[in-house]
Amino acid sequence: MSQYASLRAQFFEGDIRTKSSPDEPTDPIAEMLSGNAQWAKAVTESDPDFFPTTARAQYPHTLWIGCGDSRVPETVITGAKPGDIFVKRNIGNQARHDDESLMATLTFAVEVLVIICGHSGCGAVAASLAASRRETVPGQDPIITIEGFPADSPLNLWLAPLTIFIGSLGLSSTPHEEALPVAVRENIIAQVNSVCETEVIQNAWRRKILPNITVHGWVYDLETGRIQDLGISRGPGSLPAGKDSA
Amino acid sequence: MSNCRHRSISQMLSGNVQWADNVQQTNPNFFPESAGRAQSPHTLWIGCGDSRVPETVITGTRPGDIFVNRNVGNQVQFNDENLMATLTFAVDQLGVRNVIVCGHTGCGAITASFRASKTVIPGRTPITLDVYSADSPLNRFLAPLTTSIANLVPNLQISSVVEAEAIPVLIRENVKVQVDNLCETEVIQNAWRTRPVGEELTVYGWLYDVGTGRIQDMEISRGPESLPKPRVFSTEKIML
Repeated sequence: MSQYASLRAQFFEGDIRTKSSPDEPTDPIAEMLSGNAQWAKAVTESDPDFFPTTARAQYPHTLWIGCGDSRVPETVITGAKPGDIFVKRNIGNQARHDDESLMATLTFAVEVLVIICGHSGCGAVAASLAASRRETVPGQDPIITIEGFPADSPLNLWLAPLTIFIGSLGLSSTPHEEALPVAVRENIIAQVNSVCETEVIQNAWRRKILPNITVHGWVYDLETGRIQDLGISRGPGSLPAGKDSA
Repeated sequence: MSNCRHRSISQMLSGNVQWADNVQQTNPNFFPESAGRAQSPHTLWIGCGDSRVPETVITGTRPGDIFVNRNVGNQVQFNDENLMATLTFAVDQLGVRNVIVCGHTGCGAITASFRASKTVIPGRTPITLDVYSADSPLNRFLAPLTTSIANLVPNLQISSVVEAEAIPVLIRENVKVQVDNLCETEVIQNAWRTRPVGEELTVYGWLYDVGTGRIQDMEISRGPESLPKPRVFSTEKIML
């Protein structure tokens, strides 16, 4: 086992292993700063070159577009190391063409692998699913996904397209618990297709710059900690992934 | 093309299996408990997308501790709907107690903005990376950063030519600017005004040194005491 891998085993899972009650840290800020000091020391002791080497430049192999959900930290759940994955996390792992922040990231950091990772029990998808059942005439009424906030609050503006999309999936008569995983999956498929349709990716494929860019859709199961590859990966010349994908 | 395989993909998927198995063995309740209830992170992290700054790893925290928004240059822009939505969600719905803006050494966004700042024309939208058009999303997203740096350099008497001197200063200044932006938002101001004693929200500015792995608290934290104090008028002035 490489130095880093054994250190990883000790630390990244170790934190979960050794944390004891009380569950809630009394001073999370102090805990994070001392956690950082411990981690940095352990890494340096195990591999003195690690930080100086990664400081020179980053060479990530993957751009991760994931949810901001606290339970889905990409580097931890993939057993990767700092330097491996460039990360964009937002509510509901959305890849919208009109989201300047996302598009800026895609332009700045597109790598050979682009992974859209959604997750079970996604609050954004759940809220949008529930709201889509309340909306009787999508597109004609202001969409309020999170009740208690006005339609033009940033959160509802952000979730409106997701609510409209989920409303189009034909899940209105499916019980919520069954519909949610379907909506989570369909959202990931839609975001994979959305990324593939961006100029960044289309140009890369057409001009054969980074010709081997592939875009993948993954779903992370909070119950088990396991990632599932949805098998909808797309490369140059691929057709949109759809509901019939395996 | 439904089975694209790449060595890194295989590594990440097998890394995931190993990690999940290890957690399962050492703490079999972790995943079911984490999945079975809503997330309750204590912190919102606004950081850079840079691959070397994975928040959960560098703070030694667990999945479930930190809600995350990462973008190019760890920016808080008022017209960034995605960031504002995240802020609203994390502060108002999840009730996080801490919001941390974390910058880092070797930030490519700051470097690019610094280089471009010398060509900024006041009143014109700057082009940060000239391989892309002025209205490309990346240049639009970095325009505020580049403009801000163009102002900071002369005002702070930072060298405009020696990158090695200028960039570290600008990285720190950027964190301060983003903390200021954050504290001006209605979400933060409202939280300061309305949260009960004992549940106050604090905004922090941190700096991560990629060369040492160490986080530094920049000690620019702000809490409810930052709210402007209500002005008190003497009664003599009110009575006419």
